[in-house]
Order: sequence, then C-alpha cells, then structure tokens
Amino acid sequence: MTPQISYEAPKEIGKFKQIALGVGGLGTVALIIAALISEQMREQALRSWLFGFIFWAGISIGSLGILLLQYLTGGAWGVVTRRILEASSRTLVLAAIMFLPIVFGATFIYEWTHPAKDETLKRILEHRAPYLNLPSWILRTVVYFGLLLLMVYLLNKWSKQMDETGDWQLLKKASQFSGPAMVFYVLLVTFASIDWVLTLDPHFYSTIWGFLFLAGWGLSSYAFTILLLAWLSYREPMNQVVGRRHFHDLGKLLLAFVMLWAYLNFSQFLIIWSGNIPEETFWYLERMESGWGAIGIILITLHFAFPFVVLLSRDVKRNPKWIASMAIFILLMRFFDYYYTIGPAPRVSLHGAKLMLMESLSWMDFVAPFAVGGLWLWYFFGELQKRPLVPINDPFLEPAIEHGRAH
Amino acid sequence: MSGKKLYGIMAEFDTPTELVDAARKVREAGYTKTDAFSPFPIHEIDEALGIRRSILPFLVFGGGVLGLLLGLGLQYYTHVIDYPIIVGGRPHFSLPAFVPPAYELTILLAAFTAVFGMLFLNGLPMPYHPVFNVPRFALASRDKFFLLIESKDPKFNYEETRKFMESLNPQEVFDVEE
Repeated sequence: MTPQISYEAPKEIGKFKQIALGVGGLGTVALIIAALISEQMREQALRSWLFGFIFWAGISIGSLGILLLQYLTGGAWGVVTRRILEASSRTLVLAAIMFLPIVFGATFIYEWTHPAKDETLKRILEHRAPYLNLPSWILRTVVYFGLLLLMVYLLNKWSKQMDETGDWQLLKKASQFSGPAMVFYVLLVTFASIDWVLTLDPHFYSTIWGFLFLAGWGLSSYAFTILLLAWLSYREPMNQVVGRRHFHDLGKLLLAFVMLWAYLNFSQFLIIWSGNIPEETFWYLERMESGWGAIGIILITLHFAFPFVVLLSRDVKRNPKWIASMAIFILLMRFFDYYYTIGPAPRVSLHGAKLMLMESLSWMDFVAPFAVGGLWLWYFFGELQKRPLVPINDPFLEPAIEHGRAH
Repeated sequence: MSGKKLYGIMAEFDTPTELVDAARKVREAGYTKTDAFSPFPIHEIDEALGIRRSILPFLVFGGGVLGLLLGLGLQYYTHVIDYPIIVGGRPHFSLPAFVPPAYELTILLAAFTAVFGMLFLNGLPMPYHPVFNVPRFALASRDKFFLLIESKDPKFNYEETRKFMESLNPQEVFDVEE
C-alpha cells in the first residue's frame, strides 16, 4: 500500500538553513558587540538572550515532552509529526551550548548571585542560600541538560534503529521508557524553569511555576510542529502522507494546550489574589502597572480568548493554511508571555530596580529571538534533513496515513 | 407484501466498501430519504449519502455562552444586588473570584446541551423502529452492512426502487414493514 517514495526533506530546507544561519550569526554578533560596551548593556544583552533562549530551547524541551506523550498514547498525529519532533528535540544539543552565555554571565542577570542590598531580601536570600547558590545552580543546570539529552538520545536512537531494522519491539521499548521518563521530565522542567526564570525575581516563589512552562513549552512546540507540517503538506513527499484529519487532531491538541496554559496561569493568579499576601502579590502588582498591564490584557484576550474561540471551529482546524496562521499567531503570543514573565524582573546593574515597560524594552529584545532562533533553526533544519520525514518502518505508519486520508 | 404499510426497502451488504459504493449510487439516483447501518463508524458514508453536518456544535456553543452569562449573572445578582457583603476586604464585584463558578456553569450547560441535544436531534429515546422487523437486521451490530430507502422518499416507487436496489449487487433485498 505505502508507495515506494523517498521521504527526504524538500530542497528548500537547505536554503532555509543558510538564511537561518545568516540571520542567527548576524544577530549574535550584534549582541556580543553590545555586551562588550558597558555593564548595563551586558546585562541587557544577556537578559534578551535568555528571553530568546527560553522561547527556542522551550520548543526543543517541549518537543521531547510531546514525543514522550505520543509514545504513551499513540495516535496517527504522533506518527506523522514524529520526525519533526525528533529533529526539534535533537536541537537541544545546540540549546545546551547556547545556555553557556547565561552560565558565564549569571552574575550579570541574577540578583541572588550578589549580597543582598536590603534587610528583607537579605533574610530571604540567606534562607534560600543552601539551595540557591551559584555552584549548585550550575551543577543543577548540568543535570537538567544531561538527563534531558539522555532521553533525547535514547528515543532518537530507537527510532533510527527501527528505520533500519524494522524491529517493532523497539516501539514497545520506547513506550515502556516513556512512562517513567515522563515523571522525571515533569520534575526536570519544574526545577529548570524555576532555576532559570523564576529566580530572576529572588523574592518570588510559586509551586505551579513548572506547570506554566510545561504548558507554555508544549504549546509552542505544537504550534511550531503544526506550522512546519502545514508547510511540508504542500510539497513532496509529505503531501502523500498528511491529510486534513491530521491537522484536525493536531488542532484539537493545540486548543487543549491553549486552554491548559490559560487554566494554569489563572490558577496561579487566583491563588495569589485570594491569599492577598504581600510576599506574593507584588509579582502581579508590578505586572499590572507601569505599562506591563497592557501585556497582561493582550495575553488574556489574544493568547487565550481569541485562539480559543477560533480553534473551536472544525473548519479552521482542518484547513492547513488556517491552522498554520493560528500557529504563527500563537508563537507570536508566546513571546509576549515570556516577556511578561522575564521583563519586569529586577535589574542587577540598577541595584535591583525594576523598570517600566517602555524603559525595559530594548532593541536587543527584538534582536535576540532572531539571533537564538536563527541558530536554532539552522541546527534544526540540518537535523530534519538527516532522516526520512516519517518513521518508515513504524507499524502504525500505514494506518496513520489512511487516517489522514479518510473523510 | 401482507397488507401492512411499507416503511422502505433495505439491502444487505458484506463489506463497508460495497455499502459506500452503493450509497453513492443511491444518492446519484436522486434518493434523499435514506439511511445506512454499520457495526462501526464509516467516515465516508456521510459524504456518500450526502448527510449534512449536524447543527449540534453550534447548539453546544450557545449552551456554553448561556452558562457563562448565567454564572456571571447569578454571582453579580447575589454578591452585588441582593446580599452585598464585604468578604476579605474585596469589592462586591470581584471578577477573579467569579471566574471558577462561571466556568463550571459554562461547562455544565455546554455538556447538557451536548447530551440532550444529541438525544433530541437523533429522535431518541425511540422504543420502536420498523427496521427491526427484518430479522437479519440484527446482524447490523455484528458483521453486515445495510442500506435503506424509505417509502416517504419522493422518488420512491416500489417496483422501480426494488429493482434499483437489486442492481446494486447486495446479498439480499428486504421489504421493511411499518
């Protein structure tokens, strides 16, 4: 039944690779130059780099999570997207390298790396010091990347072996691995997102924080995968594989993640709002004034309400062009969400002062997503070219293709 | 035919493919009051028989919106108009606190609309249906596929329709009595 065609990536991917490398390289050079000018510029460059990193590394980490999820649940959508997800997950290697500037520049952006200026903060930091100190933070980061990369390595290895040998037992192995791995994955994302992002604000704490990132990274990974799959679906060889029902299924998952993201964010807000304790409320108060509130409104209306209502429609989910447009829009909104999280955090070079939205915005915040993204995409496209675009010996490939063709 | 009124003519098929092919021909022949029966869902059959999409999703959306407004309205009325009490120093109209109940009511009414709307649109519960007068129809929930043309169909003509059904290569053709 399966037509004997080669599942190589379309030629344009090679061109994209070049463009991505050019954009990423230029952006990175611009940021490096800026970082050398002054201490304040260096902090800004590193913060912007972190902003870009959280978005793009999030797609790598989120894709790993979706891979684990897919091995546990099965489903046609997972078979046709697996190679895209795998390529994203393998790009975590580059993401780990791109985190090095943050490690070496940690003292420029994380206030807790310095002795506290005021009495309250001093007490908080002393209390947290056994956990939150630079050596153990670096050690933990190494562990996060180590374990995540181990999962990436194993899943990719088995998938490749199955292409070569056609041994269906490997699929069982991957599912059995994915159960326990999922538990560790959730813990790793929780700790990593707290260490990398939440501690920008050394006062704050939130136990739901990790889940905000699980949902957010999962959402951007789905959006990115749908976008790429839609593009591929108009070209050889994926036009033989992908059908409207695949987009329908992926669209439902996109909708589910939009709702999950909103649900978890509202949960954090409602609990802090109800508790009404100054140690927590300041985090939202700062994000409601000085211009930051505007981003909050944008997130509620355009990151949640608008995609939610549009994605309810079956016709939107089944049309590759419409669902891809929605995916682009959601990816754009993800930037707003990360900026809302990172932007208002205190500045080390200003002795812990916090800036208004307009003061905080820097040209580097616009350059960094392109710099990190260009390099990320360059590596990603290279990985995508390395393997057939579908798992050719997966026992579920044929039913998955049939599923997409059906009405 | 034994004096009883005729409900329709039914044909039995062995495979879903034959059923879908036959359904296409039935539609092309211009019949509209038709139905197909299968032990499992066949996605092509909707399109083959020209069955239009259900309006249920829109009803469910309406039910959800109604639930949302009802939830917000209920809380606004009780907290602001009918019995205003200050709780935890917050304003009477505290939207964040109103969200969970409003959300629950949205889900509740949307779910009710889905379940009861589905029953209503399908004409359920239906204690009697003439198709069960054909003894072999019991196999529709096992391994046989059936296609029905109702006698209410404007194009229905006993001799012609029966001949047409036989031309579709079915296993057997039955008269279905009311």
